[in-house]
Amino acid sequence: MSATHASTAARALEVRGLGKSFGGIHAVRDISFDVRPGEIVGLIGPNGAGKTTCFNLITGFYSPSAGRVRFGGTDVTGRKPYHMARMGIVRSFQKTNILKSLTVLENVLTGHYMAARQPLWRTFFPGRAVRATEAAARESAERIVRTMGLAHRMDTPASVLSCGELRLLEVALALAAKPEILMLDEPAAGLNSQEARQFGEILRTVRGTLVSSILIVEHNMGLVMGVSDRVVVMHFGQKLAEGTPAQVQADSRVVEAYLGGGGKKK
Amino acid sequence: MTMMKLERHCLVALMALAALLPLVVRDQYVLHIGIMVLFYAVLASSLNLVVGYVGEFSLGHTAFLGTGAYAAAILSTQYGWPMWATVPVAGLLAALVGVVIGAITLRLQGPFFVIVTLSFAEVLRLVADNWIALTNGPMGIAGVPQPALLSEAGNLGAKQFYYGVAWVLLAVTLYLSFRFVHSNAGRAAVAVRENRYVAQSIGIRPLSYSMLALVLGALLSGMAGGFYAHYISFVGPEMFRFAFMVSMIIMVLIGGKGTLVGPLIGALLVTFLEEYLREAKELRLSIFGLAVIAIVLFLPRGLMGFVVQWRAARAAPAPQAAAPKAQGSAA
Repeated sequence: MSATHASTAARALEVRGLGKSFGGIHAVRDISFDVRPGEIVGLIGPNGAGKTTCFNLITGFYSPSAGRVRFGGTDVTGRKPYHMARMGIVRSFQKTNILKSLTVLENVLTGHYMAARQPLWRTFFPGRAVRATEAAARESAERIVRTMGLAHRMDTPASVLSCGELRLLEVALALAAKPEILMLDEPAAGLNSQEARQFGEILRTVRGTLVSSILIVEHNMGLVMGVSDRVVVMHFGQKLAEGTPAQVQADSRVVEAYLGGGGKKK
Repeated sequence: MTMMKLERHCLVALMALAALLPLVVRDQYVLHIGIMVLFYAVLASSLNLVVGYVGEFSLGHTAFLGTGAYAAAILSTQYGWPMWATVPVAGLLAALVGVVIGAITLRLQGPFFVIVTLSFAEVLRLVADNWIALTNGPMGIAGVPQPALLSEAGNLGAKQFYYGVAWVLLAVTLYLSFRFVHSNAGRAAVAVRENRYVAQSIGIRPLSYSMLALVLGALLSGMAGGFYAHYISFVGPEMFRFAFMVSMIIMVLIGGKGTLVGPLIGALLVTFLEEYLREAKELRLSIFGLAVIAIVLFLPRGLMGFVVQWRAARAAPAPQAAAPKAQGSAA
């Protein structure tokens, strides 16, 4: 698995001056940051800071009003979401997004769509090659489910999973698409602190094995500061600070953004 | 995996049973009922591809049936094409109509999709009613020719021949549906049906796979229409009417949408019921209405959905036993 990322030279994601306005409201304004190969980057900020909008802009769910997104030096600004996924940038969603009526394994198997793609006529007349691809996809899906610690839920319908298991399944589904960059939008929402810690460990395991780099939006500070190599802080749609977790935590502007100016608003 | 195998065994068993019928039964009426069951099974399966794998309720499926029927009738009466050519071409033409309708309707969801597909069928009915030079208008096209080899055979021989053709048509339908459903493309269609956003985030272009399911459904019902034109040897604008649509919907709902065996069971039950209730005349539709209400209320996923649920309930104790352990380790 790691071979796939070692063989293709890992690419960096560069975000330059990204902006989006809805009517007169600037949801995101002049955001720039990089996700370099092998990095886990945290994107944090108070509610409404524009983090999810940023995700939607990068992955093509929204088209930006300003700025560029480059991936491995290629300009990919405004490409369709499925295009971004095919290039190697796969995201998860803030609200739980999985295929509810399918089992855990079926979900992850569906995630192998790109690996198992075939010419149309092969759908109806599959030969040995297609059967081999299908078997490989199934095997890979089982491996991912096990890596995520969901082995005992392999054939359970996703609709009956617990909140924590759903979060893991979301990541498994995204990993199944074999991304180079995995973008997670609040993947630990609803997890208790121990579950969040375990989640962080899983993220560290998959980085470098199943995926090259990770961009994570998260409110659980313990998790973000624990796993991230660098943290980007957003506030009112703009970038407030960027640095290592320690630098960011020490930054007075960041503390102010989270707790309110001089404690007056509290 | 086991579900897939079970499904395949069921389909093969049902088709083998169906193949035996003409060997045992020489009654023309029974064979006619058999032919109609097979014909409706093709139709219901094709509608099921749309309802089950696009995830939207099409009320315009008769557009494809009618296109196929008219194509076969016109090609054979005006151009003298033989049946082995008209039926596949009828399918292809219906598929083409499917591409056009799909390009417009697949961007819509929910009630909008329902209304627009319905109006497409209605537009085609009006065309059939008014383009007299091509379709002979409300009079319809009578005397759609039978295959030449039937001129020697008697009535029974003709029935047996059509039974065989319908069986092959259904076999083709089930083969194509089965391959589609259990392929990467089928999984992609289900992903689009379940969650458009997730589908896109894993690299699926949503329109491609809804379109594939729709066009496949159109192809199959177009061939069914072509077959029907030759068998009944008459085609009129009624082909586009809602009555066919109602039968198809009832079959898919009773059998269970999104399964391959369901529509077959539905076609079998409804065709028999329709024959059996023939004496009830006007009451017939009311009885069907009640049956549909009962199904929707008590078996919302149809008979096959019920069977699947029952199997799952029997298999349930195993994962439940594992659940507390998982929660314990997480807490």
